[in-house]
Amino acid sequence: MKIANKLGASVLALIVATGGAFADDAFWAEAAKPYQGVVLHGVTESTPPSNYVKDVLAPEFEAKTGIKVEIETTSWDQMYDKAIKDMEAGTGIYDMVYIEQDIIYAYLSRDFLVDTTQLLKDHPELKAPTYDEANFTTFANYFKGDKGDLFGIPMEAFIKVYLYRTDLFNDPEVQAAFKEKTGKDLKPATTHEEYTEIADFFTQWGKDHDEQLWGTTAQAHTGHPASWYEFFESVAPTYGVYSWGIDAGNNYAASVANGGTMNSDEAKAAMKWWLHLRDVAPPESNQSTWTEVATTFAAGRAAQGLVYGENAAWVASDETKSRVVGNVGVALPPLSDGVLADAESGKGYIGYYDGGAFGLPVTSKNKEASMLFLEYIAQNEVQPDWAVAGSRITNTATYDDPKVQDLDKKLNGYFTMLKDQGRLFAGAPAYPFHAQVREATAPIFYQILTGAIDPDTGLDQMAAKAEEELTALGYRK
Amino acid sequence: MQSKTLGWLLLAPTLIILFFFGVVPFLYVLWVSFHQWNPFAADPGMSFNWATNYRQVVFDAQFMASLGVTAAFVFFAVVSELIVGYLLAQAFMKDFPGKAIFRTIHTLPLIMAPIIVGSIWKLMTTPSIGIIPHLLHNWFGYDLNIGQSAAAAFIVTIIMDVWHWTPLVTLTLIAALVSLPPDPFEQAQIDGANKRQIFWHITLPMIRPAILATVFIRLMDALRTVDEVLMLTGGGPGSATRYVGVHIYKEVFPRTNYGYGSAISVIVLYLTIVACWLLYVSLIAPRTSKKG
Amino acid sequence: MKTKTPWLFILFWLFVSFLTLFPIYWLFVISVKPAVELFSTPEVLLTKVYWQNYIDVLNDATLRRYMMNSLIISSCNALLCTLLGFLACYALSRFDLGGKESIFFWTITNRMAPPAVFLLPLFLLLTQVYKIGDFSLADTRTGMILVYCTFNLPFAIWTLRPTVDGIPKELDEAAYVDGASPFKVITEVVFPLARPGLAVTLILTWVFAWNEYLLAATLTNFNARTLTTGLSEYVTTTGTEWGIMAAISVFTLIPALIVFSLVQRHIVAGLTFGAVKG
Repeated sequence: MKIANKLGASVLALIVATGGAFADDAFWAEAAKPYQGVVLHGVTESTPPSNYVKDVLAPEFEAKTGIKVEIETTSWDQMYDKAIKDMEAGTGIYDMVYIEQDIIYAYLSRDFLVDTTQLLKDHPELKAPTYDEANFTTFANYFKGDKGDLFGIPMEAFIKVYLYRTDLFNDPEVQAAFKEKTGKDLKPATTHEEYTEIADFFTQWGKDHDEQLWGTTAQAHTGHPASWYEFFESVAPTYGVYSWGIDAGNNYAASVANGGTMNSDEAKAAMKWWLHLRDVAPPESNQSTWTEVATTFAAGRAAQGLVYGENAAWVASDETKSRVVGNVGVALPPLSDGVLADAESGKGYIGYYDGGAFGLPVTSKNKEASMLFLEYIAQNEVQPDWAVAGSRITNTATYDDPKVQDLDKKLNGYFTMLKDQGRLFAGAPAYPFHAQVREATAPIFYQILTGAIDPDTGLDQMAAKAEEELTALGYRK
Repeated sequence: MQSKTLGWLLLAPTLIILFFFGVVPFLYVLWVSFHQWNPFAADPGMSFNWATNYRQVVFDAQFMASLGVTAAFVFFAVVSELIVGYLLAQAFMKDFPGKAIFRTIHTLPLIMAPIIVGSIWKLMTTPSIGIIPHLLHNWFGYDLNIGQSAAAAFIVTIIMDVWHWTPLVTLTLIAALVSLPPDPFEQAQIDGANKRQIFWHITLPMIRPAILATVFIRLMDALRTVDEVLMLTGGGPGSATRYVGVHIYKEVFPRTNYGYGSAISVIVLYLTIVACWLLYVSLIAPRTSKKG
Repeated sequence: MKTKTPWLFILFWLFVSFLTLFPIYWLFVISVKPAVELFSTPEVLLTKVYWQNYIDVLNDATLRRYMMNSLIISSCNALLCTLLGFLACYALSRFDLGGKESIFFWTITNRMAPPAVFLLPLFLLLTQVYKIGDFSLADTRTGMILVYCTFNLPFAIWTLRPTVDGIPKELDEAAYVDGASPFKVITEVVFPLARPGLAVTLILTWVFAWNEYLLAATLTNFNARTLTTGLSEYVTTTGTEWGIMAAISVFTLIPALIVFSLVQRHIVAGLTFGAVKG
């Protein structure tokens, strides 16, 4: 909703002041002629980038084309449920649905979405001169089908990065204490051992100085899938366990016995490492989802942590929400040996590249008008302000915009990292059964977190459960 | 007596609405429950699989565990609400200064949406930054951690439910108490009955139907609890507060397990009806043996 | 019966009120804090007040629309359910209808269904079955008013039954003897006596409709969205907007309080017996 996006409002003012005079205005008016009076309906999660679409881009588009766009924003699980019900039942309520990167494979497997490349080929009159699939960053590849056609127009993209407090890391007193204790210089960790050392050090520091400070964040909620995601998308890969430890090429094996890696030694080591971090993290961590982790970091309660990129901007720059403005450093997550090489060669990845796109359901009754809107929001011209409002970048050209480079400085190079090292990160594995396997194994996972099951046994059970679920779903033969 | 036609006419709108919005959806759920259906399975269609879903339920340890914690939750929550609610309703029968204000205050929790109640209690109980763990730590040195301790999370969900829903019990019982005719009480006082005798032999039998109705409502609503708990604990820690409502929600929403989820729902509905029927029969029998 | 002020009693009520009010007070505290202060050591007393959340909420036209929808849906639904429930109870109480006890019990089973799984059939019915031409019940207030009957109508019937049963039959029989029509008997004899029960039923059905979330979240999209669905828009991946949610909740208390005070008077309009003591 509107309020969530104060940045958006100021950006709107900016656009009204400067904009509106692009040479291609004529195209929009002309192309939209047959669709006067059409009202497009979209559903999305309520996030700053989505709110920007709703509050800024949609009104702009309406002014140029006369096509009204209504965007429904709702919570994460509601959004999926509503989009799926609509497309499954063929109701045709929505002309645009938000597709998070991890559900695209499920939607593609069900042929829920329109092939936008093909649609534009069939209707050349809809093709805007300013729209080009080549404008997108490589993130768009996640939304391509077998033939390379695009099924979703990227609208946000982030990487889950290692954030640390530059004020603490650069404090001479802290540095001296760290040196004395460990014999090392205090700098962002590159290995798991270093990370643990720093985490232990700061948690102890907080205790000794009676400060509300701990060594790390942990997204370790004991009843919410956020913790499951942190482990499988952000922690396990740094130990070389990719794609949740499930081997799609090997009959979807999950257990080591069958050729999977979900309960491999690396996975078990990763789990123990992460559980230790959880123990030295602030006490709220076992109630923390992605939301609270960012808030914990923003409140200055953690010296370092893995935080979703969509939060990087506000944590580093919004004083009404963050106490650590100007003190946020960005680095790559700590890694095991060989993981970086895996990532460079494309065999593995070092962390989570997430984001989403807008797709056009085949059940939509206004595909053409909807396509126009999707092209509109994909233009290079509308990207920079959107990037500033939502710390998301989907088009290559956006990196070079002065506004974005300005913000990049404030964020200590987050955008630069997204640009240069983004390729080392990866989205969710190409599984159409994403939520199904997660929910089947999550109860065991939560029990590992509460200590009801030890990590080794727990991961063994999870691997078995994952295979059982995959068999029941018919993927594993 | 009046013509029966008039009686049926008065009932008709109720029956029609409940048929179209209650019975028809139920039949659909029943139909789905005999199918294997997950839109994101390798075969996304519905395929009839006889009673496989129902057979599977018996071996579903997760579901059985969920039923267990739900029973405990509902029992403690509803009994506490009934006792506290009755005592407060009785206390409102007296006249005292500021009664209207107190009564309004007491009904305030009811007008909070469950999602908000869950949010408030989550913020009040978050380890280390919530006010309740903070005060408990300062006063008693006890660290409340509902993200780690199953017992703590369970108790907090009960306290939350009691806080939220006791006013409902109070209000319905007030309505019952104020509607009681005065004669039996006056007679009893003349006969020299003490308070306890009046309570057991006059008040209780007379408000039994109201108590029954209230217990029913609370019972079935507690069984359906989803929003507050999902917000507060997400069903955790582990599965400590994964009550059937939450369990079904997770089965049907994220896991899109429509066939199996429908079967569980039908079973839960069946169990609820049986439990309520037993209660109904055991409590209604003494009522119908009396007049009116 | 006692004349002196029962101080102990008032003390007891102050204590109960404190327990009741504390979470609501905390809601207010959350609503007047900037987000940055929520994740720190909590203070019981407010030192400074931050109104921005309220200003944001007041300036949001969408929220006003949601509030209006909530008010209309819950008020219409509460009136409808209380009225129909009252008539149904009168029928069940005064007429010798075959199988009426079974019908009575059956009505309540409609409230027992776990909601999550019934969303799909309701969605299908509203969007595809219950429609005339282009008009379907999906995303309309009328649709929501009818859907909410599934839980509120059984509730109304169950809470009103003891009340209606408790009104002596002799009264309406006497009125019939005097030549009154059934309509007159219901409105002029039974209705006034049932007022406390009706008032409570009206309040509670209103509350249930006002607070409902899951059905509204699934069955409304743009036109009929309610405040509770609006609240869920603040639970996002980039931060739950606790302050705004709390501010909205504080606002929702206002119409609810007005409705309550309008109806509550009728509860006391019933008699209060000094004789009934615990």
